[in-house]
Amino acid sequence: MTAFEDLKSQWGNQRQPGIPKDGAKQILNKITSVHKKQRITNIVLALTGTVLVAFFFYISAYKFQPVMIGLLLMIGALAVRIVIEFSSIRTLKNMDVSTTAEKFKQQMIRYYKGRTKVHFIVTPIIIIVYCIGFNMLLPAFKENLSGGFYNYILISSIILLIILSLFIAREIKMELNVLRALKALK
Amino acid sequence: MVFKPNFKRVEVRMNKNQSQFEKIYQANYQKVIRVCMGYVNGDEALAKDLTQEVFIKVWESLASFRKEASISTWIYRITVNTCLLQLRKKKYLKGEEAIEKLSHTVDEDQPSKENQIRRMYQCINKLPKDSKGIILLELEGLPQKDIAEVMGLSHEAVRVRIHRIKNSLTKYVQNDSI
Repeated sequence: MTAFEDLKSQWGNQRQPGIPKDGAKQILNKITSVHKKQRITNIVLALTGTVLVAFFFYISAYKFQPVMIGLLLMIGALAVRIVIEFSSIRTLKNMDVSTTAEKFKQQMIRYYKGRTKVHFIVTPIIIIVYCIGFNMLLPAFKENLSGGFYNYILISSIILLIILSLFIAREIKMELNVLRALKALK
Repeated sequence: MVFKPNFKRVEVRMNKNQSQFEKIYQANYQKVIRVCMGYVNGDEALAKDLTQEVFIKVWESLASFRKEASISTWIYRITVNTCLLQLRKKKYLKGEEAIEKLSHTVDEDQPSKENQIRRMYQCINKLPKDSKGIILLELEGLPQKDIAEVMGLSHEAVRVRIHRIKNSLTKYVQNDSI
């Protein structure tokens, strides 16, 4: 027997994992629960958006131009980012997994190349726009808040920005590794 | 004209789909989990999770199954592609670390069945990732023509690749002296 035939016979003789009882039903239940969670996420996001808009009018932010522009820039930057993430998740979910492995690999490469563009072009612009918006709000904060609270907002925002940047950098590194691995597949 | 949804008809169709899915699940579970085991280096818990992801995709794609390919080829395509898609997730990457650990835990003096299986996965893991799908299907005994259909390569290309992979595997096996 050749080494490969040995391997093949070991493969055939390995212990067979049993078919889970009610396995198909469990999968259908999981799909239903995922759909429910998605619906809840959509409701939460819609509510958050509504609260933000309501808050915007409640504090009459439109009367103070720098505050209005600042808030719009921050909310706009976040909204663009959320839309991009949702559309990425949808693209990934809608990929045709029943196509040939070769075509699927090409779909994945296209997807990750798109993500690279988002990471290296769109994300830095979004972060800069967000920071500009925040910067425009600072004078209003300084005027209306106590010194201590102003410093707290300033320092916590910088820390948050650093943590967020590190998190994004880690995600980018992981996705670039996947892209590299996909391209390495002949 | 008033739109009246025919709930009974929708329910009947759903039940029909569910029973079709149940049949597909029972008939294909073991071949799917075996291929998944190959992708996660024999880690059964990870393979079970991966298998569940595969069947979620099977359910979602069931309506688009056009019977152009056999159901078995279709299931294998979904399995290989879902493995590729899911393996980017952190929890599945742990399977790679597991094999590193395994290589230190295999007892050289005990050629037990368990050790042999561990070594078998080590050898498969040494192959480049693009060869894994092909060789796992070959180990499953799928005809080369069907492997070509799953992978989207010509029959000739699959034949050449399998020949090369077998040679590489033989080298690994000899070096590891299975």
